[in-house]
This record gives sequence, C-alpha cells and structure tokens, in this order.
Amino acid sequence: MDYLFDGLLQAFGLIFSGDPETFSAVWATLLSSGMAMAVILALGLPLGFLLGHARFPGRGAVRTLVDTLLSLPTVVVGLLVYALLTRRGPLGDWDLLFSIPGIAMGLTILGLPIVVALTATAVEGLDRRLRHTLLTLGASPGQVLATTLWEARFSLALAAVAAFGRVATEVGVAMMVGGNIKWSTRTITTAIALETNKGQFALGMALGVILLGIALAVNLAVAGLKRMARE
Amino acid sequence: MTSPIYSLRQVRQAYNGRLALDLDELDVPERSILGLAGHNGSGKSTLLRILAFLEDPASGSVTYAGRSAGTRDAALRREVTLLTQEPYLLKRSVLGNVAFGLRLRGEESRERAAEALDMVGLAPEKFARRSWRELSGGEAQRVALAARLALRPRVLLLDEPTNNLDRESATRIKDAALAARTAWGATLVVVSHDLPWLLAVADRTVTMADGRMLPAA
Repeated sequence: MDYLFDGLLQAFGLIFSGDPETFSAVWATLLSSGMAMAVILALGLPLGFLLGHARFPGRGAVRTLVDTLLSLPTVVVGLLVYALLTRRGPLGDWDLLFSIPGIAMGLTILGLPIVVALTATAVEGLDRRLRHTLLTLGASPGQVLATTLWEARFSLALAAVAAFGRVATEVGVAMMVGGNIKWSTRTITTAIALETNKGQFALGMALGVILLGIALAVNLAVAGLKRMARE
Repeated sequence: MTSPIYSLRQVRQAYNGRLALDLDELDVPERSILGLAGHNGSGKSTLLRILAFLEDPASGSVTYAGRSAGTRDAALRREVTLLTQEPYLLKRSVLGNVAFGLRLRGEESRERAAEALDMVGLAPEKFARRSWRELSGGEAQRVALAARLALRPRVLLLDEPTNNLDRESATRIKDAALAARTAWGATLVVVSHDLPWLLAVADRTVTMADGRMLPAA
C-alpha cells in the first residue's frame, strides 16, 4: 500500500509545482471539452426545445432514438469518428485525425444527445400555462422560444453540466481519435491510462486527483442546479 | 350604435369528437362589457380562447375589427389579452412580470407597470421587487391582471378572474377590470359565476349551456 500513498504525495507535488506535462493534459482536456460544449449547446438547446415543444409525426421515434443515443459506448463513437476522419474516410481531407478538433467532434456526438434529451424533458416539464401566457402577452414565436428557455434556465444548465461531465471524463474517443500524443492530444484520461501502464503512478494519480476534482465540481453544480430547478 | 369589434358566425369547436362550442351568432360591440355565465363545461373558456386567438374554431367565421381573424394573426394578440382563472407568473420579480409584455413590444415599462400595479391595489414600492414566489394566490392574480392592464389592451378577456379569491382581492380585480374601460375604452368579455356582479356591470350577459347560448330571459 505504500506505493499508493507515495504516489498520492508525489501527485500533489506535481499539481502544486505546476508540472508542465500534467497541465498539458489538463489543457487538452479543457480545450477539447470546451470546443465540443460550444457546438453541443448551440445545436442541442434549440433541438431539445423543438423536441419537447413541437408536435410532429415521428416525434416518439425521434425521442426514442435520442434516449438510446444517451448510452452510446465511447469506443463506438471513437471508431465511427476515426473511420470518418482517417485518410480513406469521407472527411479525411479535413485532416482532423489526431487533433484536438477531431476529439471535439467525437465528444460532440457523445454529449449532444444528453443536452437534447434533458432540454426536451425540461421543456415538457414546464407549466402548460406558460405558452398561453406568453401568447396572450403578445410574444412572437422567437420570443416564446427565448422566454421558454429562460424559464427552464436551471434545468438547461443542469443539462449542460451533465454533458460536460460526460465529455470531460471519457477515454474512448480521446484515445482513438486523439491518438494520445504527448504535449498535443494527450488528455487527462488517456494520460492516466498510459502512465498507469508504464507504472508511473504519481503522474496517473495527479491527473486522477484533478479529474476527481472536476467530477466533484460537476456533481456539486448538478446538485445545486437541481435544487434551484425544483424551487 | 357602436360597431362590433367581434362578429362570430356559425362558430363550432370540438375536442376529440365532442362538441364544445356551437354558436350561431355573436356580436360584441366595441367598448362594451359582455358577461358570460353558465356551468363548468358550457363552452365559456373555449369561446374566450377563440376570442383571444389562441385557437381557431373547427368551422365558422370570426371577424375582428371588420376583418377575418384567427391564430395566424399574431399581431392581433398585441391588442387582445386573456387572464385565466389560474394565471402563470414568470419566474422573476413582480415588476419583471408586469413589465414583461411592454418589454416584448420595446416600450418603456417602469412607469406603466407602476400605474398598473396601482390599478390593482398593489403598492409598487412594496411589491415591485418582490419575487413571484412570495405572493399569495390573490396577489398573484392581481399581478397577472396588472401585467395585462399595463398593455392597455383594446380587448380584455377575463376567465373567472375572482375564483377562490378573498373578498378584497376579488373587489380589487373587479374594480381594475372596469377601470380599463373607463380609462382607455377597453372592450371586456368576462366569464364569472358571480351573476349579480355580471348583471350589474355588463352591457349584456349571455348564459351558456352545452356550448350554446341560451335565449335571453
């Protein structure tokens, strides 16, 4: 057990000394997750609103599909995006394989269903009187959309936080699409996998502590937002 | 004779095959007060939703201010507003709720909102900053009415606005609604179970049953 304790001590040493290799992986994680989240929110919020608000043929089937995509295995997404971005793939010319934007593309596929499904659920859960109230106060369709999303703001923030938790902590896409290239596409999760295989527990544990910190912050945010959404 | 702001002809509405409204003819003169009485399920609320352009009838014609009108005319919903018996307040302050419709129109809101709060008997300095959560049922109903009065609507539709309210709130709401006609000549269509009040204030009171207007007694 001593090696675990020693590893933990060395891990805190790496974190507090600002070890460049550790923070390179943190930066790659935050950059790829941030890029993915920007696309996820830009697409997911309006799509989720439509799914929760509008009535159209096949809506139930779309809802089932989105719910199914919630449990997409990360390695399957990694395989799919790899196949798209490889030189022989349809998007090979984009030259995104083994790059941060390539990882972000895969993370977007992982996180988008979460935001769409949770936004749709939040919009469905809003008081049915809201739409009539907005219309009787003279709201245009665009104003109905904006105000409805604002009324559900805490639930939507919850959806965003849940999606961020998923994309920041996954390993399959980052490993397969990013290639785990040191100083470039090595993320926290891929670095932990590699360093553990090499017996470098200290660096693995340092990154694990940071990842746990991110997970804790995400969970605290989720708990707080759930409380605010209920009020 | 004032020209009608609404003219309904052969208007029918059905939900899941059940006839909810069956009106041959109804004219509502501008600046008048029309009272609607009748049991629950008699079609009063359905009629108000059609008058508010929230839904179109299954058949028949609705004319507003001389031209054919329906839900496609979103601009008309800036002239006509409806207060339901259990209104929804937005998750913001009292002032945010009362000024909401004015802000949608890009109009200066604070002074008009304060005037509207005064009309319903809620002191702006005491209530404006209060959260929607901190209101009693009667206060919430008065805030919802103030949000509509602030718009100075051409038509004010009220669906049982004093149901389940204490006497003071009910009186304030009735007085404020009537003031809308006095102050800017609003047309009022009021659904209420308070028949003595309706008979006292309305220019015409119609009793409905099974979606139809009963002949005047």
